Amino acid sequence: MKYVSRIGMTLLAVAVVATGLIAGCANVPLRTEKSTSNIRAAEEAGAATVPQASLHLQLAKEELEAAKKLSAKGDKEEARSMLTRAEADAELAITLSHKDTEKTEAREAVERVRQLRKDNL
Amino acid sequence: MKVLQLCILTISAAYLAGCASVAPKELVDARSAYQTASAGPAQELAPADLHKAQLALNEAEQSFHKDSDSTKTKDLSYVAQRKSEQAGALGAIAAAKSTKERANADFQKQQAAIVEQGKKDLRESEKQSAVTQAELEKQAALKTAKDTADAELKASEQRTAAGQQAAAVQAERARQASEQQAAAEQRTAAAQTELARQAEVKAAKERTDAESQRQQALIEQGKRDVVEAEKRAAVTRAELDKQAALNRAKASADAELKASEQRTAAAMAELAAIASLKEEERGLVLTLSGSILFRSAEASLMPAAQVKLDQVTKALLTIHPRSLVVEGHTDSQGSDAYNQALSQRRADAVRDYLVQKGYPANQIQARGQGEGSPIAKNSSAEGRANNRRVEIVIQREVQTSKK
Repeated sequence: MKYVSRIGMTLLAVAVVATGLIAGCANVPLRTEKSTSNIRAAEEAGAATVPQASLHLQLAKEELEAAKKLSAKGDKEEARSMLTRAEADAELAITLSHKDTEKTEAREAVERVRQLRKDNL
Repeated sequence: MKVLQLCILTISAAYLAGCASVAPKELVDARSAYQTASAGPAQELAPADLHKAQLALNEAEQSFHKDSDSTKTKDLSYVAQRKSEQAGALGAIAAAKSTKERANADFQKQQAAIVEQGKKDLRESEKQSAVTQAELEKQAALKTAKDTADAELKASEQRTAAGQQAAAVQAERARQASEQQAAAEQRTAAAQTELARQAEVKAAKERTDAESQRQQALIEQGKRDVVEAEKRAAVTRAELDKQAALNRAKASADAELKASEQRTAAAMAELAAIASLKEEERGLVLTLSGSILFRSAEASLMPAAQVKLDQVTKALLTIHPRSLVVEGHTDSQGSDAYNQALSQRRADAVRDYLVQKGYPANQIQARGQGEGSPIAKNSSAEGRANNRRVEIVIQREVQTSKK
């Protein structure tokens, strides 16, 4: 009887903690910091001037807005899922901006070598 | 029975139909993007990012198997596609960086070759300049010879006014001199052109030297930076070594302190087994009964007392040396002066014995307390026996010794 009582108390405590956690998760506000900072980083990397990067930057902004609307409606799960789309698009926009810069620099370096060869033939 | 078989067939068909469901467009695109990225430079140059893309795709595939047309499957597929494209882009970035580094290395190599070629050209032009100078000197000598010839011709004309042959000879000499002068003028023009070219070469060399000096300065700055970084690293290493030595010293001191505490505890237990041991304000007080130490009215130790004091000395010597006060006490029988003297002699006897057995003499004091500090009533025989005693007060260890 003593053991049964102890097990019962333990189960009750676990149930209370689990309920608290579930209730806590349901009320967690939408964490948009990562998307927002990625979008800002993409803009600073010059995504707006690179056609491919510009497209993904625009998509990221739209998806962020959509996630906020879903969250406001109470569709927390769908809002979080939409937020992952925004994060992925913003990260891709940053990488594409860097890719454009690196390719341009590589082309310039090759051209400089070619010009030097031409001038000294 | 037939109904049961029909049910099984229906469930199997439904299951197969579920398995054969069509993948959403996002998942198809993600698979395609991953294959494209795998076939590109990312496989070799950005394997970590490609692996992340693969994990994302796996997650999407698992979601598809659980729930083929859910929003979650589509979102995971969308993210997997972006990550695959990102891995491909990172591979392309790494390839571009590699190309840029190779091109820069080529550029520097070619510049060095150009500098070397410029120096070589300069040496060549200096040689040619010397040749030209010699040519000019030769022309000057020819001109002098021509002038001499003209003078001689004029003198000859004056001397031999007649004579066609002499005139013909003179004409021929004049023609030859004229031809020589024309040739000399041509060589002079060529020499001037050569000098102009040399000046251009020299200017090019000066530009090349200036560039070379600038690069040398950059290399020197880089070396100084490396030396500075090495100095800082050495200072950091020395600091770390010092810290490690301090830690070792601290650990050693802690171990020593612990061992000392253990020895002290063992010694105290041993003393408690030998005689009565009490913790008082003045220190630990070990009380030895006077009846087992001395005969009545005497101050020389009995053999049994020596055995007891041997045990006490042995226990005290195992711990860190502390100050001891040996106090002799008597009962109230006899005069005060007699008791005071007897207690002092007895305390001295115990102190001398402890010193003889190896306890540091400067750590022991002996005090005769006479009959002034009884611990029991002197009216009974038992009380007087208890009052006849020797107390060894073990001073507390000074706190700073622990540090």
